[in-house]
Amino acid sequence: MTTADLFLQQAINGLSLGAMYSLLALGFTLVYGIMELINFSHFNVFMVGSFVAMVTLQMFGLSGQDTILTGLPLVGVMLVAFLASMTLCGAIGVAIERFLLRPLRAVKGPAAMITTIGVSYVLFNAVLLSIGADSKNFPNPLPPLTFAIGGAVLRLREILIWIISLVLMGGLTYFVQFTRLGKAMRATAQDPEAARMMGVEVDRVVMTAFFVGSALAGASGMIFGLYYNLSKVDIGFAAGLRAFTAAVLGGIGNVPGAMVGGVLIGLIEALSGQVVGTAWTDVIIFGILVLVLVFKPVGLMGRVAPNKS
Amino acid sequence: MYATAVNLLGRPFASLPPERRRLLALLVLAAAFALLPLVMDNDANTDAMANAMSYATLALGLNIVVGFAGLLDLGYAAFFAIGAYYYGIFTSFQVMPLWSDAWAPFAFLGLVQKINQGGPDLVHFTLSFWLALPTAALVTAFFGVLFGAPTLRLRGDYLAIVTLGFGEIVPIVARNVDSVTNGAAGLNGVQAPRILGYSFGVDALPYYYVGMLLVAFLIFVSIRLRDSRIGRAWMAIREDETAASAMGVNLVHFKLLAFAIGAAFAGMTGVYYIAKLQTATPEMFSFSVSSMLLVMVVLGGMGSVWGVVVGACLLQLMQSWFLPESTNVVRAFGEMVGSPWLMSVDLVHWTQMLFGLILVLMMLFRRDGLIPATRAIPALSFEAQHAEVRRGGFVNLDRIPHWESTPGNALEIRGVTVKFGGLTALNNVDLTVPAGGVVAVIGPNGSGKSTLFNAITGLVQAHSGSIKFHGAELLGLAPHEVLERGVARTFQNIRLFPNLTVLENVLIGQHSRLRTGPFAAVFHPPWTKAEEEGARKWALDIIGLFGNRLTPRANQTVSGLSYANRRRVEISRALASKPKILLLDEPTAGMNPNETLELAEQIKSLHEMGLTILLIEHKLDVVTKLADTVVVLDHGDKIAEGRPDEVRRNEEVLTAYLGRAARAALAETGNVA
Repeated sequence: MTTADLFLQQAINGLSLGAMYSLLALGFTLVYGIMELINFSHFNVFMVGSFVAMVTLQMFGLSGQDTILTGLPLVGVMLVAFLASMTLCGAIGVAIERFLLRPLRAVKGPAAMITTIGVSYVLFNAVLLSIGADSKNFPNPLPPLTFAIGGAVLRLREILIWIISLVLMGGLTYFVQFTRLGKAMRATAQDPEAARMMGVEVDRVVMTAFFVGSALAGASGMIFGLYYNLSKVDIGFAAGLRAFTAAVLGGIGNVPGAMVGGVLIGLIEALSGQVVGTAWTDVIIFGILVLVLVFKPVGLMGRVAPNKS
Repeated sequence: MYATAVNLLGRPFASLPPERRRLLALLVLAAAFALLPLVMDNDANTDAMANAMSYATLALGLNIVVGFAGLLDLGYAAFFAIGAYYYGIFTSFQVMPLWSDAWAPFAFLGLVQKINQGGPDLVHFTLSFWLALPTAALVTAFFGVLFGAPTLRLRGDYLAIVTLGFGEIVPIVARNVDSVTNGAAGLNGVQAPRILGYSFGVDALPYYYVGMLLVAFLIFVSIRLRDSRIGRAWMAIREDETAASAMGVNLVHFKLLAFAIGAAFAGMTGVYYIAKLQTATPEMFSFSVSSMLLVMVVLGGMGSVWGVVVGACLLQLMQSWFLPESTNVVRAFGEMVGSPWLMSVDLVHWTQMLFGLILVLMMLFRRDGLIPATRAIPALSFEAQHAEVRRGGFVNLDRIPHWESTPGNALEIRGVTVKFGGLTALNNVDLTVPAGGVVAVIGPNGSGKSTLFNAITGLVQAHSGSIKFHGAELLGLAPHEVLERGVARTFQNIRLFPNLTVLENVLIGQHSRLRTGPFAAVFHPPWTKAEEEGARKWALDIIGLFGNRLTPRANQTVSGLSYANRRRVEISRALASKPKILLLDEPTAGMNPNETLELAEQIKSLHEMGLTILLIEHKLDVVTKLADTVVVLDHGDKIAEGRPDEVRRNEEVLTAYLGRAARAALAETGNVA
């Protein structure tokens, strides 16, 4: 491979990673936009999502990389796995909100954030205790179709990841922009007090944000499995930190910003891994987080700052 | 038998004065901890207890940052790591530069040795443990400032994620800079401490005693800091940053101080921990350490010094005794019922699960922790609850500077414009407050009155114009600098420090007039003692201005006070800063007519005492009674200025307040003011 091909290949990889981070970043951004809360449980909801997808695929008799499906069975199995992981993660998100965070909504200070850290730990250890710390094979039933772009290779996997991400992000954009609940969500993000007085049921909006954000984390977790062909109990931390950086980079609270930020972080990760070495990826990503927060806290796409005194 | 013991021990103990009682209790506690390992005589237990000591010191340090200053630090283990590697690198054979004569002075001081391993002469670092402890505190404090500086402007929740990142990066660096840290394999051959030629070696007992002394010292430092000007400033930041800044607390300075001191605790612990272990690997300082410390602080009680020590001890007890012991019980039970799952269970693996559950349950059911930092509020007696209303103002309060000592114009505001996005909140406003004057600013809601106060006190930045206070420009100063120059304010929506007492709130008002720094706060030189006593006495004098409305409540937290009393505390807090000018933002809002009258008289006597006053007020009778000049704002423009009776007749003012139609109707009936 020539250098140019290498970079093209990393750009393709970066786009897939970026799609994954975008979906994960949306959950951070939706919740932060509405409640000004960094939801640390999101890190491990993502991890749980990837295992739910893995178990679902295994239930179809798929185990490693050897069983290949095509046509309708492939589409069906993939769809079921995505839906299962999204639904279950959405339900976990709703439960966290309803039973653990809602009682704390009026409490000032870091109580809610500390709770999400605790929940993250519980999720992590629940998975750790039940299936262990070693990495697990993620079933990949995709046919090994590849397309050559110059010297770089575009696999079917990438196309699938891109399509699914585009569909989910498109759906979310439609939801936020045009539906009643989506408008209520944006109104709440701007000013919860005013939204409540205008008849918006804030409880429902918050719950929706948690459901949608967590469901997207579930999809993102499945993409992780498809991309790396594995899943592991500790994948939530690094992916979560990167997705959060993506949300901040795009302007936290800003839905298109999270999508753009995610793609940028994915590209940066893939390309910096090529140039500097993967050992330093976290340092680079984190450096970006600090630089953005210090010099441009509203992010690249800006944010309609909530009007809170 | 029991009754006899109580009589023999309890009675004399109860008859001791409280300070003696506390001292005695501490001595008994210390003796118990000192004797414990001798009684148990088991090296593994002593080792676990020595580790508990290091967790306690770390929890105490994290408590400074999280509990006192309210800065959620999720990467605190980074400072632990820096202290550890500092000691490890400078006592092991990891880093050995070539020997040159420049090293000779260090060799003379015993910091390095010349060694030869076949080849050129090399430098071997031999930093003493006892020297490493204080220097590690300095080194990590420096890193605390370094990590803190870029993040302190961030809101609290961003700070959490940035510190989380720092906490990740330090082990990554340690893992990847092999030449200095020996990478993932870790440093080896770290020197054990020596004292008078005796090496501590690997026996846990001496480490336990050193750890105990370290805990005792850091408890002492924590308590001294908490009860000082420094601790009050931190708690003010934790409760309300904006109000803290407006009351003279330099936010950047004090947040960095919290980071530095918290980091210093971790650095010292790092030295201790590594000296005991004699190795250091990057895995020892991962996120799980930071989060375990957070669990300790949350369990014990954020901000509670004894609480976090108890939290650390409890969690260590859980990990090293309770879980292994109950594993045996569960396994025995499993054998009894024949359950292979129960027979193979290892509850030690459940440690982190329990950490998570503790965090969640504590936040839901006991947010203040096992030993809450805020004391119970003493109940008021019937007499104390019934305020004797002191009418006709109050007696003199010394130490408030009289305006006659600085005559001329106190405040000169020229052409000040403030914009929020597309909205012009203040448009080219001029305003003069002569020294000794009482100027009232009135205007409909949204006319820019509070924005004017915010611009003067540095809470919002004016786009143009100038605000001179006794000739010196205030524009561009930080809120605490404005206060230092003698401009104190209250807030329209009352911004007290809700979980602090009345007395503490007023003491924070004196922050900028007191000098106690961190070292004086810890070591209490005589002048600090005198300063603190004076400050407390004067704070009580100020509180006493309001008759017995506040005095009986001096030790109650302000969150439990009535609305009117909170207003009084806020005025007291502003007075405590010895202002030349007092900016009162709707001081009588929400008060009943009697309370309004009482406060109006009190404001008048503040003026007679020598204060210049700038006042925002809606109640026109109060304005007429107090003000010699009234300024009217409407939609950010100054539309009138003059004596109260002139302004009341002003056409534009009436239109602004009543609207055009009502104004015309009034004119027709000839019923103009």
